Amino acid sequence: MSQINSTDFKKQKNLIALWSYTFLIIFPLLIILGLLMRLNQGEVIDLGIDNFYVVMTLHGLGMAGLLYSMAFGALWYLLASRYVKLNIKVGYFIYTTVIIGVVGLVIATLIGKFGAGWYLLYPLPFKGTFWPGWATALSIISLILLGIAWLIGNIHVVYALARNFGGLANIIGWQYLGRKKVDTELPPVVLIAAISLIPGVIAFLAGAVFLIMFLLQNFEPGLNFDNLLVKNLIFFFGHTLVNITLYCCLGWVYALLPEYSGREWKVNKLLVYSWNATFFFILFAYFHHLYMDFVQPKPLHIAGQLASYFSAIPATAVTMFGVISQIYRSKIRWTIVPTTFLLGVAGWAIGGFAAVVDSTIAINKILHNTLWVPAHFHTYMLTGVVLFLLGFLFHLTQTKDEQVKDKLSITGFWTFLIAAHCFVASFYAGGLNSIPRRYSDYTGIPMASTHSTGATLAAISTIFIYILLIGLLIMYFSIFKNLRQWYKNPSKT
Amino acid sequence: MDIFNTLLSIQSFAATISFIAGALVVSVVAFLMISSKNVEEKHLAKEKVYKVRDKYFVFLSACIVAGLFISLRLLPYSPFESHPDQEVTVVAMQWAWKMGIGKTDLSPSEFQGINEVTVESGKHIQFLVTSADVNHNFAIYNNAGDLVAQTQAMPGYQNKLDYIFPEAGEYHVLCLEYCGLAHGFMTATIHVK
Repeated sequence: MSQINSTDFKKQKNLIALWSYTFLIIFPLLIILGLLMRLNQGEVIDLGIDNFYVVMTLHGLGMAGLLYSMAFGALWYLLASRYVKLNIKVGYFIYTTVIIGVVGLVIATLIGKFGAGWYLLYPLPFKGTFWPGWATALSIISLILLGIAWLIGNIHVVYALARNFGGLANIIGWQYLGRKKVDTELPPVVLIAAISLIPGVIAFLAGAVFLIMFLLQNFEPGLNFDNLLVKNLIFFFGHTLVNITLYCCLGWVYALLPEYSGREWKVNKLLVYSWNATFFFILFAYFHHLYMDFVQPKPLHIAGQLASYFSAIPATAVTMFGVISQIYRSKIRWTIVPTTFLLGVAGWAIGGFAAVVDSTIAINKILHNTLWVPAHFHTYMLTGVVLFLLGFLFHLTQTKDEQVKDKLSITGFWTFLIAAHCFVASFYAGGLNSIPRRYSDYTGIPMASTHSTGATLAAISTIFIYILLIGLLIMYFSIFKNLRQWYKNPSKT
Repeated sequence: MDIFNTLLSIQSFAATISFIAGALVVSVVAFLMISSKNVEEKHLAKEKVYKVRDKYFVFLSACIVAGLFISLRLLPYSPFESHPDQEVTVVAMQWAWKMGIGKTDLSPSEFQGINEVTVESGKHIQFLVTSADVNHNFAIYNNAGDLVAQTQAMPGYQNKLDYIFPEAGEYHVLCLEYCGLAHGFMTATIHVK
């Protein structure tokens, strides 16, 4: 572990407090946007079609960006407070740039009515739009700002880790593959951070390429880029961003769970092979988003299915069994932190399995772009990533004894979790009934049963959104109080 | 076309295996939470877990190989030697479908089609799908509301979708790629004799 002096620690503490408050405030607001969408689809309210797509765009961009930013911010804090010196000015640059980008996106959507969806599938932002050109330009510039912030962040962390642990090969664990005994042990969180953030760098560069193409198109409408190429760039960027959000979270599960189970979790050959394989699966799995583009070369479709299927081996046989070996007969106390971590891994497993089902080309031809898609990524995010983030915040601000006494948070957590699973179940049921995703409502569908099933499931799902918001609110009582105390108390680390 | 499409069983297959997987995950979580009340030597507990993991690894590998072996034989892509009985040109545009029997040399924007077409059941139909503006998705639903086949409609490219309608009746076309304001209202009809 690196030695961090108290001044530097205080600065890092300020930064993570800032990220935490930002996350805690924005997260429920974005849930409310999701609630509005489902209420509209359930024909309970009438937003208007244009407003629905504005809300959908802000909800998608907001959630993807917020969850990645908070996962990255938490990983940054964990690394900076324990293992490596990270430049606080870079940290604040990332935070400020992200916030400017977010403000830009809020203006572009809520005022400019930009509504091209979170992945802005080319050339939709430029053709048949119901929003003005300035809103498209502002969205692109805002996304470029977010991309720059994340790219610099990822490069800085990878560079700092490589410098501290003897080079790039060392932080991805290659020193464990030789016959020589390893001199300095590598903390698992460092290995996972490297394996997550390096594909992130590549993805953000791909994002930069298509966003610059978009910017050129915006100012020169006569340009016409190859659709399939841009689609590949967009999905590579989007898929990788979402994927590494969860992997950043796993970094601190590896680091923090042993503190509760009392069992160490070390890097070994198997872990290195597993995470190095994951590196390639992260890069190639995105092809499964393009199965219905029949003109894409067939080997790439098959590569997407292979990468998606084989990613299950390191994820389950190594990481999930690692979690099981941490917990099994460990006499662990089920306070809020290990509970969120275990149930977060369970959410990841369920959402991941549904993703693997959909990554089967022979199944995707029926489930593609139905509600099965939001079903699996909401499972992965809402009952996976979000639980890890909440667990991190509780770990940050509460001692183990305080966690034992805090029964309210556990009540809030179970309320949130059960409601969240019931909520995603409505999406799964929609997917199995072939209900299309991204419909403002289902009134235009000529098949009466599809219309009524879609609307009924949407209306039912809103009940669970209200309940999960109540669960979140209950946890917030504790989190906000503890975060304030933790921030003010210099002795709390 | 294949047994999955004919029996429309993909949805129920996906539901069944996902339910089993979900139930398994919940059972493991419950087992872990209950078993963690007891304590066992760290290395003994790990040894037990690793034994199960080894078996799981073999089981998972077998499932992956079997899954790939079966599913990769059911790809929806047209083989090179495909000889359809009938071709249907499909052009998507914001926010309508233009369809017509046969191939066309006209550009997508020049092509004049209408939002309904008639084909025969039991025949190999090949839809030649493209777009005049943004990305759309040509999705065919039967009258009961089951999605039976789909492909993307992409500007600058033509996707070939092969399908044999199992029975006569009305089939509906919906757009399954978000394409702007009236995305949810972009429909067409396929009459199958």
